[in-house]
Amino acid sequence: MYPFDYPTQTVFYLVLYGATLVLHVLPMNYVLAGSTYLAFLGVWEALRGPALAQRPIVEVLRDWMPFALGVTITAAVAPLLFLQILYQRPFYTANLLLFHRWMAILPVLIAAFYLLYLQKSKRWHHFSAWVRAVVSVGILCCFAFVAWSFTENHLLSTRGQEVWTEVYGSNRWFYRDPELMPRLTVWYVGAFPVLAAALIAQFWSTGFVRRDENAAPDPVTDPAIRTLAVLALGGLVASVFAGGGYFVFLEEPIRQRLTARDVWPYLAGATLGIIVQAVIWRRVWQRAWIDGRTLTFLCLAVVGAVGSATALREARRTSTIDLNQYASMHVTASIVGGLGTFLLFLFVCTGALIAVVVAVRRGLIAGSQPPIE
Amino acid sequence: MDFPYYPINDFGPLMKGMVIGGVGIVHVFLAQFAIGGGILLCVFQWLAMTGRSKLAREFVDGYFRWLVLISFVLGALTGVAIWLTTIQISPRTIGLMVQEFHWLWATEWTFFCLEVGSGYAFYRYGPRLPDRTRLGLLMSYSFASWMSLFWINGILSWQLTPAQWLEDHTVWSGFFNPSFWPSLIFRTITALAEAGLFACLVINLVKAWTRAEKKEMLHRAFYFLAPMAAMPLVGFWYFAVVPDDSRRWVMGESVAMTMFMMLGVGTSLLIGCYAVFMIFNRRNFISAMTSLLLIALAMGATAGGEFVREGMRKPYTVRNVLYCNSVTEEEIARLRIEGCAIHDPYPLKDAAEIPTEQLRLGAKVYRLQCSICHTVDGANGILGLTRTWTPGQMRLNIAQLQRTKPFMPPFAGTAQELEALVQWLAWREAESPATWETSDRPEVLRQIQAHLDEVGTVSGLELMHNKLGDGKSAKAAQSQP
Repeated sequence: MYPFDYPTQTVFYLVLYGATLVLHVLPMNYVLAGSTYLAFLGVWEALRGPALAQRPIVEVLRDWMPFALGVTITAAVAPLLFLQILYQRPFYTANLLLFHRWMAILPVLIAAFYLLYLQKSKRWHHFSAWVRAVVSVGILCCFAFVAWSFTENHLLSTRGQEVWTEVYGSNRWFYRDPELMPRLTVWYVGAFPVLAAALIAQFWSTGFVRRDENAAPDPVTDPAIRTLAVLALGGLVASVFAGGGYFVFLEEPIRQRLTARDVWPYLAGATLGIIVQAVIWRRVWQRAWIDGRTLTFLCLAVVGAVGSATALREARRTSTIDLNQYASMHVTASIVGGLGTFLLFLFVCTGALIAVVVAVRRGLIAGSQPPIE
Repeated sequence: MDFPYYPINDFGPLMKGMVIGGVGIVHVFLAQFAIGGGILLCVFQWLAMTGRSKLAREFVDGYFRWLVLISFVLGALTGVAIWLTTIQISPRTIGLMVQEFHWLWATEWTFFCLEVGSGYAFYRYGPRLPDRTRLGLLMSYSFASWMSLFWINGILSWQLTPAQWLEDHTVWSGFFNPSFWPSLIFRTITALAEAGLFACLVINLVKAWTRAEKKEMLHRAFYFLAPMAAMPLVGFWYFAVVPDDSRRWVMGESVAMTMFMMLGVGTSLLIGCYAVFMIFNRRNFISAMTSLLLIALAMGATAGGEFVREGMRKPYTVRNVLYCNSVTEEEIARLRIEGCAIHDPYPLKDAAEIPTEQLRLGAKVYRLQCSICHTVDGANGILGLTRTWTPGQMRLNIAQLQRTKPFMPPFAGTAQELEALVQWLAWREAESPATWETSDRPEVLRQIQAHLDEVGTVSGLELMHNKLGDGKSAKAAQSQP
């Protein structure tokens, strides 16, 4: 089974990379799809007036997007680290070839971050609908640029010396790869089911969504939940079509690699994840409520689908980059010390984070009690 | 030959060191603000809880909002920027650092996660939480942010003083290197001072407080500058453990380094004097504008300090391992036989404008070996530096670069490549004429080879140590500071 036929050290770093990348992809999808949603709503409201049915979703997104971006950036550090162990030369080369264009993601992200805080501020509603729409679309453009740049960088890193030499000599600012748009589309549309699942989990945890059929229908909650279902189902259907289109678009050797037997478990995982999500969302759309057990299944399906897609992404990359040529570097990296320290503090800091959540919950409950006279 | 060639970018008139330095200074300044800010907030929260200050709670919430807006956004992204900029400037350096210390970097990441989690929890829920929980969150945040300094400090200080690591290559001997503790303590003191100065600004921005209330809070904030009194001592400790040659440069042998050092010392001294003035005279007040000025001075001190720290490593990025032009000590001997530029797969971007093959080779040699620290005619421009040299002098000075300037790496190429570089420099100096005669006289190449052989591939620092007659090699001297 892929990737276990590589040398042990390579597999070790690949698994770590994949696991930490999933931790990055989940909040990243929230940010990408969330900014799209807000931009769409912003333009809609500027043209047609307030969209009251969407207000609960919009409020939660506006409130949580800066945090989600902070988590996305922080979560990107670990995969970026392991990426440099696994694919050091191709990754650095792509960075260097894209130069200013690649580095531009940083000021763009800073601008987007501050605009997200503006969107969250109390002052936001004092702006006219058109100003709000322009800012929201601006934020989306920033994230779209970053997503595009990452895809461009990734594809360039897989192309090898001949293309690198040609790109360097050409003085071009952009690397136009025919695979860029199909690939970006898959990741983009795939972000919506993740966003929908995250939002319904947020609603569930705050008691905003009905948790069983006995609860009375709610004129505010139910339409918002159904909107999420539509968003998720639309994203799932689009993901299937985009994934299929991307697959057809790929060159034959890559297609063969992605349908090889050792990759089947990930294809099956992605397919199962999509089906389970679709079934759950269809039920949510019909009933406008979700119980805890179903929500857990939904979250597991999302993580399963994203995890499988991440593995397929790596299989695509290793179909053009021969990882075995870097195996000696992986061996060298694996013998340096510090793994025990990392595992120890991973445990400690995860525990501390859980303690933070528990303490805040308790603190909020205590804070909401009337003071004892 | 298995030499990792990367595409090298031209930064125009900007020296690459200035770019990484600029990004680095901004990031270090913001990161120190976040670290010191965490500790400061813990103390003010404690003041509020113990009834020592009625305003402290309100201040903590206001200060934290600034911390999130500045440090969580600009601080975090300049951290990523420094990483990506290092890749742009020296991919081999960052590659080596990642290779050797990736588990410690990953450990630092676990603390980033805790820092972000605790920080956002406080930002979001802090005002609604009871005091004990608030203090717990702030302690978690400040501990995590200080630990991120702890881990990165070990990796950065290893670059200058790898010491025992050169012998045993174990991660802990590299991490707990001779300059680790003085550097960590110095940075912690700086972080506290920065946090105190930012606090002064925030206090002045609170509209609801009276002047007397602001004065009370300002004096409390200024206590965070008190540890600056230990700076001279820690500074001496630091300079006592860095390599002898690095210390000499800072102490006068390199005017630029000495001036930047004096900038750091001078601005710190000014801030320190102001701190004494505020701590010991409780009638004094400090306005928002003065706070801003002091913050600007602190930025100047950080800039001076970071410039010195980076410059002291020359000619290495990792001492005794990797030269600043991304060639290792071991590779130089091989490159002198096999050539450095002939295997470079990346074409010249202006190849069509260069009239001869020799000049094109020279341009590639410049790109590979010189462009990391020099521009052609901008900052630290190579044409300006060599303008008055005769061709013979140029051949000698470049062939024996480590003698010309001990903080330069030895030339890593063949005699033909060196002559190509000399010709390219002369051609550029002559304003790039359309024709240029190729210089291939055997006696010239023989002379260059003799110059190269005379000095060998030994580093300038080793030459210095030998000349100084201390009888130690640079490596041995460095490993026992």
